[in-house]
Amino acid sequence: MWTEKYRPKTLKEMVNQREIVERLKSFAETRNIPHCIFAGPPGTGKTTAALCLAHDLYGEGYREHLMELNASDERGINVVRETVKTFARIRSIGEIPFKILILDEADNMTSDAQQALRRTMERFTETCRFILIANYSGKIIEPIQSRCAPFRFAYLKREDHDAYLQYIIEQEKVKMTDKGLDAIYDAFGGDLRRAVNSLQAAASLGRSIDDETVYSVIGRANPVDVRDMITTAMKGDFIGAREKLRDMILKYGVAGSDIIRQIHIEIFRSQLPENWKVKLADVIGEVDFRLVQGADEEVQLSALLARLAQAGYEVQRGG
Amino acid sequence: MKYKPRTLSEVVGNAESIRKFTEWVKSWSEGVPKKRAAFLHGPPGIGKTVCVEALANDLGLELVEKNASDYRTADAVQRFAGLASQYGTLLGGRRLILLDELDGITGTSDRGGLRAVTEIVKAAKCPVVLVANNAYDPRFRTLRRYCLLVEFKKPTIRQVMNHLKMVCAREGINVDEESLKFLADRSGRDVRSAVNDLQALAQGRKRLAYEDVQWLAERNRKDVIFNVLRTIFYSKDCREAKRATDQADVDRDMLFQWIYENVPYQLTDPHDLAKAMDYLALADLYMGRIRTTQNWSLLRYVIDFMTAGVAMSRERSKPSGWVPFRFPERIRWLSGTRSERQMLSKIGMKIRKRCHMSSSRAANEVLPYLRVIAENNPEMAKGIAEWLDLDNDMVEYLMPNGAK
Repeated sequence: MWTEKYRPKTLKEMVNQREIVERLKSFAETRNIPHCIFAGPPGTGKTTAALCLAHDLYGEGYREHLMELNASDERGINVVRETVKTFARIRSIGEIPFKILILDEADNMTSDAQQALRRTMERFTETCRFILIANYSGKIIEPIQSRCAPFRFAYLKREDHDAYLQYIIEQEKVKMTDKGLDAIYDAFGGDLRRAVNSLQAAASLGRSIDDETVYSVIGRANPVDVRDMITTAMKGDFIGAREKLRDMILKYGVAGSDIIRQIHIEIFRSQLPENWKVKLADVIGEVDFRLVQGADEEVQLSALLARLAQAGYEVQRGG
Repeated sequence: MKYKPRTLSEVVGNAESIRKFTEWVKSWSEGVPKKRAAFLHGPPGIGKTVCVEALANDLGLELVEKNASDYRTADAVQRFAGLASQYGTLLGGRRLILLDELDGITGTSDRGGLRAVTEIVKAAKCPVVLVANNAYDPRFRTLRRYCLLVEFKKPTIRQVMNHLKMVCAREGINVDEESLKFLADRSGRDVRSAVNDLQALAQGRKRLAYEDVQWLAERNRKDVIFNVLRTIFYSKDCREAKRATDQADVDRDMLFQWIYENVPYQLTDPHDLAKAMDYLALADLYMGRIRTTQNWSLLRYVIDFMTAGVAMSRERSKPSGWVPFRFPERIRWLSGTRSERQMLSKIGMKIRKRCHMSSSRAANEVLPYLRVIAENNPEMAKGIAEWLDLDNDMVEYLMPNGAK
C-alpha cells in the first residue's frame, strides 16, 4: 500500500506540520522527550510523526524500544494495566534510558481506563514515555493532559498536500491532471491517508488519472450516494433515506464522520432557501459533535434525516 | 391470517377427531341425530374453530358464527335462537351454527345464558357446534349431556414444523429446520401462534436464520412488546409511557431498536417524526455519556426520552388505522451479516498490523479502496494481499471473480 510505502521514515522527510516537526527534532537532538499528546484530524501525520521521532531517537533498531497500541482495538482497563505496565516497567537497554509507548486513538478509551493510564504514566516516567494520539484532545481527561506536552496537528496545507501526492505520482510513474488533484483535495480536505488510498485505487484503473477517474473511485468506494440520500429525505421519504443510510454504514462501512461532512457540503450546494442552509448547519454541527462524544452513528444521522424531511416539507409548503 | 386453512385437508393434526366430527355433521343429512350439538374442546390455537370453518366450506354449509358476547345472557341467546330452530336458510341451503369461546361465559349473570344455550341445543334442527378449551368445567355439566364430545389434542412438533414449512414454501422463504423447530417449540405447539410469529419475523424477507427467530425466547414476547409499543406511540401521559418499559421483557437496547424502527411508520407527520427522532437521538446521546462516564444514574433520562419523548411527539399525525409493528431491521441486518462482518474485521486486523491504525478504522478507510483495486487490477491487489499477509478466504472475499 502506498500509504505505507511513502510514509516518511525520519522527521526530516516530513513535509508538513513544520513547527511541530521542528520541536520534535529538538527532542531528538537532546535525546529526551516528555509525555506527549498528538491531537488533530485523521491523515495529518500524527502516527507518522511519533514513528519518525522514535526512529530519530533510537536509529534503525527503533522498533525494539517502541510499543504501539491502538486504544480502539484494546480499550479495556486491563490492557492498560497489564500490557502497558509490563512494557513500561522494564528499563530499556542502550544509551537512552526510556522506551516509547505510542497509544493511538487514545480518545476512544473510557475514562476509567484513562485514570488507570494516568497512574501508570506517573509511576514509570523514568523508564517509559507516552505519546498519546487522538483526534480530539478534549476527550483525554484533564490530569493526563496536564502531564503531557500538547501538539496540535492541522489538515495539510494545499501546497504540502499537492507536493506529497506529486512525489508519489512521479515515483509510481502515473499521470495526473490538475483537476484530478483538485478532486482529491476537495473530497478529503487534506486527509493524506485517504488521499493516497484513493490515488492508488485510481491508479489501479489506469496510468493516467483525471478528475473523472477520481470521482469514479470515490463513488465506488462509497457506493451509496449521500446526495441521493438527502434528496430522498427532502422528498419526504424518510424510511427510504434511512435505508440508504443503513446501507452506507452497515454494508459498506462508511464512517459517520464522512457522511456528515458530505451532508454538510451538499446542503450548501443545494437549492434550499439560504436561511434554511444555516439552520440545518446548526443541526449538522450538533450531530457531528455528538458522534465525537460516542453517540450511535445511525441513530444520530437518521435524526438528521428526519430534520431534512421536515425542512423539505416546510420549503415546499412555503413555496 | 393468510394461512388459515380453508379446507379440512389443510388442518394440522387431529385426524381422528376431525373424522368423528365430519361424520356427525354429515349424519344430519339423514335426519336429526341423537346428539344435536358437537362440543369441540382442547387447548387454544390448535385448529378447533378453523376446523369448523373449513368443514362448512367443504360441505357448502352456511356458517353462523357467534362469539361469547352474543350469548352472555339469556336475552342475547334468544335473539339468535330462531336460527337454530329452522331446518335451513331461506335460500334452501343448510346451516351450521358455531358458538365459539364458550369458556368466555362466567359469573352468575351468565348462568342464564348457558341455560339458554342448553335449550337451543335440545331443540336444534340444524347442527350446532360448541367450542371451548375445557369441556369438563362443572358449568358445562348439563350442557355436556346433549353434546357429542370431540377432543382436539396438540399436534406434534413435527406436524407444526411441517405446517410452517408449507407456509414458507408458498411464501418463498428460505428457512432452516432448526429455526422451524424453535418456532414450533416456543409456540407450545400452538399452530396459530407459530404462524403469526413466523409472519412477523419473515415479513418482507426471503431468508430466515436461527438468529432471527431466537429473540422470540418466550411465546408471548411479541404481544408484550407490541403492547408496550402501542402505549409508547399513543399515550398522552408521560408517566404511562415511561411505565411501559417495565412491562417489556426485552432489554432496554432492544426496546430502543423497536421504537427506533417503528417511529416513521407510526408518526407520519414530518414535524412529529422529526421531533420523535430528535428525542431518540437524545436518548442515544445519553447512552453514549453513560458508556464513557459509567454514570448509570443518567439512565433515567434515556428512558424519559425514548418513551415519554416519543409519546409527546404525536401532535399532528393521525392514527393511520392499524399499522403493524415491524421487527427492528437493524437487528436482522446485524445477525444476517454476521459472517461478513467477521470477515471484515479479520481483514481489518491484518491491515492494522501493517498500517498503524485500528482495525475498525482500517475496515472503514482502507478496505473500500482495496475493493476497488481488487476489481480493476488483480496484479496490484495480489501484491497488496501478499504484503498484508491475507489468507485465501480473505483474498476470495475481496476478489470473488477469481484471483489466480
